[in-house]
Amino acid sequence: MPDYAHPNVLVSTAWVVDHLSDPQVRIVESDEDRALYTQGHIPGAVEIDWQVDLQNQVVRDYIDRAAFEKLCAERGISNDTTVVFYGDKNNWWACYAFWVFKLYGHKDCRVMDGGRKRWELDGRAWSNDRVSYPHAHYKASEQDNSIRALRDEVLKHQRAGKQLLDVRSPEEYRGERMHMPDYPNEGAIRGGHIPGANNVPWPMNCNEDGTFKSAKELEKIYIRELKMKRRSPTIAYCRIGERSSLTWFVLTYLLGFGNVKNYDGSWLEWGNCVGVPIVKGAAPSHPNT
Amino acid sequence: MNGVNERLNAIIGEFADLDGREKLELLLDYAAGLPPLPPEYQARKGAEDRRVHECQTPVFLWPEVTDGTARLTAEVAPEAPTVKGFVAILADAVNGRPVAEAATLPDDMLERMGLADVLGILRSRGLRAILARIKRELAGTTPA
Repeated sequence: MPDYAHPNVLVSTAWVVDHLSDPQVRIVESDEDRALYTQGHIPGAVEIDWQVDLQNQVVRDYIDRAAFEKLCAERGISNDTTVVFYGDKNNWWACYAFWVFKLYGHKDCRVMDGGRKRWELDGRAWSNDRVSYPHAHYKASEQDNSIRALRDEVLKHQRAGKQLLDVRSPEEYRGERMHMPDYPNEGAIRGGHIPGANNVPWPMNCNEDGTFKSAKELEKIYIRELKMKRRSPTIAYCRIGERSSLTWFVLTYLLGFGNVKNYDGSWLEWGNCVGVPIVKGAAPSHPNT
Repeated sequence: MNGVNERLNAIIGEFADLDGREKLELLLDYAAGLPPLPPEYQARKGAEDRRVHECQTPVFLWPEVTDGTARLTAEVAPEAPTVKGFVAILADAVNGRPVAEAATLPDDMLERMGLADVLGILRSRGLRAILARIKRELAGTTPA
């Protein structure tokens, strides 16, 4: 994986096989459907669930620092452990978990390219053993605000005309799909996108087999076609900050963007805020702005 | 003669006593028991109104009523075993029962099974949406 800006963060399924018994390495599965882990996981892998483990169950936020330390300790993860994330859906939730680990300053995080799909395609073995490790000691850092954008910062960023990426589907971006029947509390009141945001739906980062596209293909999308600049501050968002974690990963580690933040409040916050600007339709901005 | 709720209560009781991991294992057992989609339905999958758009993985549901008897036919992608297991439980409960009973499927079944905490807020909401849709469509179906 030589063309990526930080090739070491991606590992192959073969690398994982070689490190299955490496005490320095912990394999972590994060899935959209957590029964998949129960059904079969990489031998020795632990599960970290994005909803139950990483989200605060009362406040709409991530778990706090103390809860993160406890989570790592219980999974046998120390500060110097190499943590390799993988999962279903093009590693979407794996990137989400990776992002939360970076939020609390974990040093050595990797992603197994292709996730569950690639592991399956490579004909590798699944295990449904219950996995546990002796408790480790973990000391987390304060949240790293250089990778997380909160609403007021997004508003300033937008007003300044800086790089914004909306990674939802084109229908959501245009504001056509927002009413979600039977989801009374999950929809946003208004549809559309943040003015100035370009739309790159997150699956465009990935190949059919779940692996990431090559550096060249990714450069074509973001640099050649959208004319994005690696050094300019960039904020990515989606509906609740999950899909945009994957795009954050791609921009930061595969393309070498220097300053990318994930707006985890995302459309579920923006589309419900009073008075924030919204554009409907396929164009990033209103023609008269 | 066991009605919808007797059947479901037995299943709920079965789940309630298990730990989180065992609950997911039992859900997988139910998922494995969902019969494959009959060929006559395969052809109708293109009919997009049968697709549950709230779910991110393909889920197709056909709640139907024949002579006052309910039947739930479904196809759920293998990459969504939680949804598949839940739909299998609902199909098990309503199939062959008078349609009026289907309307009494308990809305709080996930809580009573202890699955709401294991699955988290968003996934539970997705499953409740499926339950609501099945109840609504069975109630609204004109008997054939």
